[in-house]
Amino acid sequence: MSKLQSQKDYENFRDRLKKKRDPERLLVSLCAGSGCGASGTEEVREALEQEVSKNGLKGKVEVKVTGCHGFCEQGPIMVIYPDGIFYPKVKPEDVPEIVSETIVSRQVIKRLLYKDPVSKKRISKEEDVPFYNQQHRIVFGNNGFIDPANIDDYIAVDGYFALVKVLFSMSPEEVISAIKESGLRGRGGGGFPTGIKWETCRKAHGDIRYAMCNADEGDPGAYMDRSLLEGNPHSVLEGMIIGAYAIGSNQGFVYVRNEYPLAVKNLGIGIKQAEEYGLLGKNILGSGFDFTVKISRGGGAFVCGESTALMRSLEGKVGRPTAKYIHTVDKGYRDSPSTLNNVETWANVPVIINKGAEWYASLGTERSKGTKVFSLVGKVRNTGLVEVPMGTPLRTIIYDIGGGIPKKKKFKAVQTGGPSGGCIPEDFLDLPVDYERLAEVGSIMGSGGMIVMDQDTCMVDLARYFVDFLKNESCGQCTPCREGITQMSEILADICEGNGKEGDIKLLEELAVMIKRFSLCGLGKTAPNPVLTTILYFRDEYETHIKDKKCPAGVCKALFHYEIDEELCNGCRLCALKCPQKAITGEKKKSHHIDQDKCIKCGICYNACKFDAIIIH
Amino acid sequence: MITFKLNGKEVQGKEGEYVLQVAGRYGVEIPTLCYHKALGPAGMCRLCTVEVFDGRKTDFVTACNYPIREGMEVNTETDAVHEGRKLIVELLLARCPNVPMVKKLAAGYGIKKPRFKKKDDDCILCGLCVRICERMGNSAIGLTGRGVDMKVDTPFHIQTDLCMACGACASVCPTGHIKLEDITKHAVQPIPSEYDMGLIGRKPIYIPYPQAVPKAPAIDRTYCMHFKTGECKICTAFCSAEAIDHSQEDETVELNVGSIILAPGFEPYDPSGDDTYQHSRFPNVVTSMEFERILSASGPYEAHLVRPSDEKEPKKIAWVQCVGSRNINRCDKSYCSAVCCMYAIKGAVIAKEHSSLPLDTAIFFMDMRTYGKDFEKYYNRAKDEIGVRFIRSRIHTIEPVGDTGDLKLVYVTEGGEIKQEVFDMVVLSIGLMPPADAKDLAERLDIELDRHNFASTKCLSPIETSKPGIYVCGAFQGPKDIPGTVMEASAAANTAMGLLAPARSSLVQKKEYPAEKEILGEEPRIGVFVCH
Amino acid sequence: MTTIKGEPQVKQEPIDTAYLDNVLEQNMQDPENLIMILQDISAKYNYLPREALNYVVERLNVPMSLIYSAATFYKAFSLTPRGKYIINVCLGTACHVRGAGKIKESLEERLNIHEGETTEDLKFTLETVRCLGCCALGPVITVNEKAYGGLDRGKALKVIEQYEREA
Repeated sequence: MSKLQSQKDYENFRDRLKKKRDPERLLVSLCAGSGCGASGTEEVREALEQEVSKNGLKGKVEVKVTGCHGFCEQGPIMVIYPDGIFYPKVKPEDVPEIVSETIVSRQVIKRLLYKDPVSKKRISKEEDVPFYNQQHRIVFGNNGFIDPANIDDYIAVDGYFALVKVLFSMSPEEVISAIKESGLRGRGGGGFPTGIKWETCRKAHGDIRYAMCNADEGDPGAYMDRSLLEGNPHSVLEGMIIGAYAIGSNQGFVYVRNEYPLAVKNLGIGIKQAEEYGLLGKNILGSGFDFTVKISRGGGAFVCGESTALMRSLEGKVGRPTAKYIHTVDKGYRDSPSTLNNVETWANVPVIINKGAEWYASLGTERSKGTKVFSLVGKVRNTGLVEVPMGTPLRTIIYDIGGGIPKKKKFKAVQTGGPSGGCIPEDFLDLPVDYERLAEVGSIMGSGGMIVMDQDTCMVDLARYFVDFLKNESCGQCTPCREGITQMSEILADICEGNGKEGDIKLLEELAVMIKRFSLCGLGKTAPNPVLTTILYFRDEYETHIKDKKCPAGVCKALFHYEIDEELCNGCRLCALKCPQKAITGEKKKSHHIDQDKCIKCGICYNACKFDAIIIH
Repeated sequence: MITFKLNGKEVQGKEGEYVLQVAGRYGVEIPTLCYHKALGPAGMCRLCTVEVFDGRKTDFVTACNYPIREGMEVNTETDAVHEGRKLIVELLLARCPNVPMVKKLAAGYGIKKPRFKKKDDDCILCGLCVRICERMGNSAIGLTGRGVDMKVDTPFHIQTDLCMACGACASVCPTGHIKLEDITKHAVQPIPSEYDMGLIGRKPIYIPYPQAVPKAPAIDRTYCMHFKTGECKICTAFCSAEAIDHSQEDETVELNVGSIILAPGFEPYDPSGDDTYQHSRFPNVVTSMEFERILSASGPYEAHLVRPSDEKEPKKIAWVQCVGSRNINRCDKSYCSAVCCMYAIKGAVIAKEHSSLPLDTAIFFMDMRTYGKDFEKYYNRAKDEIGVRFIRSRIHTIEPVGDTGDLKLVYVTEGGEIKQEVFDMVVLSIGLMPPADAKDLAERLDIELDRHNFASTKCLSPIETSKPGIYVCGAFQGPKDIPGTVMEASAAANTAMGLLAPARSSLVQKKEYPAEKEILGEEPRIGVFVCH
Repeated sequence: MTTIKGEPQVKQEPIDTAYLDNVLEQNMQDPENLIMILQDISAKYNYLPREALNYVVERLNVPMSLIYSAATFYKAFSLTPRGKYIINVCLGTACHVRGAGKIKESLEERLNIHEGETTEDLKFTLETVRCLGCCALGPVITVNEKAYGGLDRGKALKVIEQYEREA
C-alpha cells in the first residue's frame, strides 16, 4: 500500500473500500474484547473457521473478529449479518448448528437466542435487546463492525474523514472553536472543557507541544477506555491527530496500562498501519502537517492517571505527582505545554467534527454535552459497557438497560467515579447523570465506572475497601494522604472487626476534611469521598457496626453469623454438600444446623440455598 | 514586582518567588518540615498549607511552592489552616511517637497523645535527605516503595559505595533517622581539623584558625562536593553577600624585589611511625601539639582537661621528652629542638592548674635544657613548688593496660632499676623539623642547607644565608622559641633595609592635586567622604 | 534507618547481555524509556535480576537509586524471582462486590502463600491487581496473560489445578 498523499487519494481509496463491501454479504461478527476473550472467543473462532471451510463457505462468509460489543456478561457474543442475529454465550459446540442453520439456511436457532431476564422473552436481533436499544452509541457503536487490526475497516465507515476535513478545510482555531461549541468535557474524571484546554495549550509559551492520551485507566470497575483502544484504536488516534493539529503539536504519546496487553497490541498495529497509509507521520495526507505517536506502557500505579504523575512516568521517573499550581497545558511533559485527554475524550473528537458541534451539543444536558460510556457492573443483571446521552437517569441505566438487580435482591446504592467517587443511595435513582448532578450528591463522574450494590454489600466494608485501595495506591509522598488514609483504614478496620468506638465517625470526618484540603494531588483530595458519602447516606450502618457490633449485610466476618431458619429449611442438603468446612449437618428433609465453631463464613451456603433459609444474624 | 495581600497587609515579591519566601522576608512565620532554602520546594509535608483567595474562590495551597500572583490574598493563620496543621502533626506524632522533635512540635499544638494508632518510626518522610543527596550529584539514596511502604533507602537495602559519606543527608535530617554508617560502605569520619590536630572535625568551608589573616572562610577543594561531582553549590543559596565563586583559581603573582627574607617556619615531628610510642594506636598517647589544643579554651574540649579515648579527666599524665630530637637511632635527628623542655614543663604546670582533681605529672627526660635567661628558675619552681616529677630515663615502650585506655611505661632509673608505672595519658614532646619543601626552596634560591636541611648560616651572622640579599629568620634557621624568632625577624628586616637603602624613594611618584579655586560667594556645600 | 551491612549473598542470575543490548537499542538507550526497559527485562526473567539492573545503570548512566525507586514503586516489577505462572486476582470494585476477596483467600490457602509471594517450586506467584478491566465478568483472575471470569471459589481452584497438572 502506498501512502495516501491528498484528500482525493483518501476519498478514492475509501470509496473503493465501500464499493467492495456489499451490505447484503454474509458477515459473522465475533467479539474478541477482553471480556468475551476470557469467556472463550478463541475456541469459538477456531470452531467457526473449521466449520466454514468444511462447508465450503470460504470466501462466501466473512468472519470478523472485532473489539468489544459492550454486553460483556453475555460473551462470547456473535452477531450474524445481514440479518443481525444475536447469539450470546456461544460455545464451540454450538458452531456447527449456527453454520448450517443460520448461515446457510438463514434460520434463527431459538435456543441460542438471548433471553431477556425481565420479560423472559427470546430476542433475535441485537438492536432489539433492551441492553442495546436504549443506548445511544456514537463513540462505541462502530466496534462491532471493525476488526481493530485492519485500518480498512475503520476507513470503510468513514474513518479519518474528520481528519481530512480538519486538515483541508479548517484552521486550528476553527477546530478549537468547534470543540468549544460542542461542549465536550474531559471524560477522564475532571470534566474540564476540552476546547478551553486546547486553546490554553495552543497559546502557551513554548516551541514544542505535546498531545497525549491518558489510557492509564485506573478506576477499578471502569473499562471503557480499554474496550475503545482494543476495539477501535483508530478513533482514538484520529482524535489525537486532530487535537495535535489544533494545538500545534507534532509529537504525541499514549500512556497505556501494561495490564492491557491487547490494547497495547492493537494500538501498536493501528499506529503502524496509519503510518503506512500516510495518516500519521510526516506530511500527513500531503497537508504539510506532521504528527507521530509513541506508545508508553505504564508500570502499574493508579496514581499515574494523575496528569503530573503520568508525565513524570513518561519521563522515566517514579510517578509521584507534583503541584499543579502551574498547569500542564503550560508546563507539562519535559516542561513543555502538554494537552492530556483520556481515551474516550479523544474518541469523541472525530464524531464532533463529522457531525458538527451543534448536533453534538444537542445531546445531553445544559452543561454536560454528548454521550458518556459507563461500565455498568456489580450486582446488576446486564453488566457491560453502556453509552447513553448525558442526563440519562440512573434508574434508566440500572433498571431499563441493566435489567435491575438479580436474584430478587434489593438495590442499595450505586457507586460512581471509582475510588474518588461516592455512593448514591436509592433516593437519588431518578437523578439525571451529568457532571453537576453527580457532584451535588457528593459523587463524581470519574471515568464512568458505575458499580451497583445490593443488600449484601456492607457500606462500611465498601468504604474500607476503597480506603485500603487508596492506601496501597497513594504515592506516599504527602503526609495527609499517606498517614491520613492509613489511619482511616485502621479506624475502619476496627469498626469492621467489632472494635469500633464512640467518636470514630467524628474522627473519620475530621480526617476526611483535612485530607481533602491538604493533600497534594487529586488522589488525596478525593480519597475521602467514599467514606464521606457512605457516612452521609448510610450513617445508621456505621452506627450498627459500632454500637450493636453487627453487620446487617453479612460481610464483616466478626460481626455476624449464619443461621438456618427451621421454618424455611426443607432439608434439601445442598448447603451441607457445598460447605467446604463440613459445618452443616442435618438429616435429609429435616431442618439443618450450622456448627458455628466450624463455620468460616465463606457464604457458599448462603448463596446456594434456593429457599432463603440461611439468614444473616 | 508583584503585590499581594499577606494576612491583610500589602506585600511585594519578585516574579517567580513563592509565598513562603516572601512571607519569610516580611517576618511571617509559616511552619514547614520539608522546605530547604537551597533545594527546590517539594510540597510533601503540607504543613505550610495556607488559604489563598484569587478573587473567585478560596483554595488551600502550600506556601513553599505556590507562585505569588498579583492581587491574591493569602491567609496563613485561619482556623481551618490551624486545625489542618494540627491534625497533620497529630498524624506524625502517631507515626513517630518517640522522636523528640516531633514531640516538641506536637506540644506546640497542644497535642499530648495522638488519637490514632501509634507506630514506632523515626522518619517523617520529609524527603530532605534524598533531595539533598541528589543535589550533591550523587543520588545514593532514594524514596523507595510507595504509599505506606514508602521509605528512605539505598538500592537493595544494602550499604552502597556510591555514597561518598559527605554527610549532607544526616545534616538535614530533622529526626536523626539518617545514620551515615547505614548508607555508606566508606569509612565515616569527619574532616580532621588541622588546627585542632585532627582531634575534632571541621567543615569543608572553614576559617583555618581563629587568628587567620584574612579572617575569611575558605572552601577546601579536596572535600567540597562541588569539586567532586560538579553539583551542590548549596553554600551560594545561603551567602547573602553572594561572595562565593566556585570558579576562582589559585593565582601566581610575580614580584620584582631587592631582597628576600625566608621565614617558612618548621614542621612538628610526626611520631606516628614510631612503634616505641604507639601514637597512632593508642588514643591516649597524644603529641604535645594535641595536648596544647586539649588545654586551649578554643580547643575541642573547651579547656576541659580530658583524655581522648573516653573523655574522662586523667589523674596521671606522663611527658616523654626528645621524641624526634637527639635521636639518630630512629629518626636521624641529632639536634636538640630547643623548646621541648620548656613547653613540657609549662604543659605540666598548666595541666595541674586546670585539673579539677589532684593531678600527678611526670616528665621523662634525658637532659633538662632550659634555654634562655632565668628559664632554669621556672624548672626549679615546677619541681620544688608545684610538684611536677622529673625522671631521668629514656622510655623505650608504651603498653596498653587491658582495654581501660590506661598506659603502662616501663623504664630504667638512673640507679639501673627497672620500674613500671601506669598513666592515664602520655604526652609526646615532639621536636621541630625544617619544612618538608625546604630542600626544594633552597635549590630554587640557590642557598645552602645544613645536614638537617635547616638554612645554613654563619655563627656571627645567623640571619644571612649563603647567598647575598637572601636572609632567614625563625625555625628555618634552626629550632628556637618565639622570642628568638621575633628578634631574628627584626634583625633580618633591618639588614635587608640597609641593603636597600640606596634605592629608597627612587620609584616614588609625586601626587598631583587639583588646583585650588576661589569659592567665595558660592553656596556652602557639605561633603561626606567615606574612607575605605 | 537500618540497612544490610556488607554484601549479602544473592542468587547470581546469568544475564543475557545480547538481549539487554537489544532492549536498550529498541528503547533508544533513552533514560526516559526506563519503565519500558524494565518491563522488557521483566518479561524475559519474570523479575528484575540485579545484574541486569547494574548493566542498565552502566549503559544508561542513571543512578541505581532511581532505578531501584522505580522498581519498587511500580507494581509491575519484582526484585525477586517470580513463578512460571503469575496469578493476578483482580480486586477491582466490581470484582470486590462479587466476592474477589474470598477468591484471593482460597488461592492463598491452596497455594500456601500470601499475596506477593511465590511458591517454593517457583511455579506460582500470587499477586493482586487494582482492576483488569473485565468488570462485567467479575470476579476475574488472570494466569499470565489469560483471563478467567465469572469465578467462585470452586471455579478458581479448578483453574489453578489445570496449571498444577502442567509441567
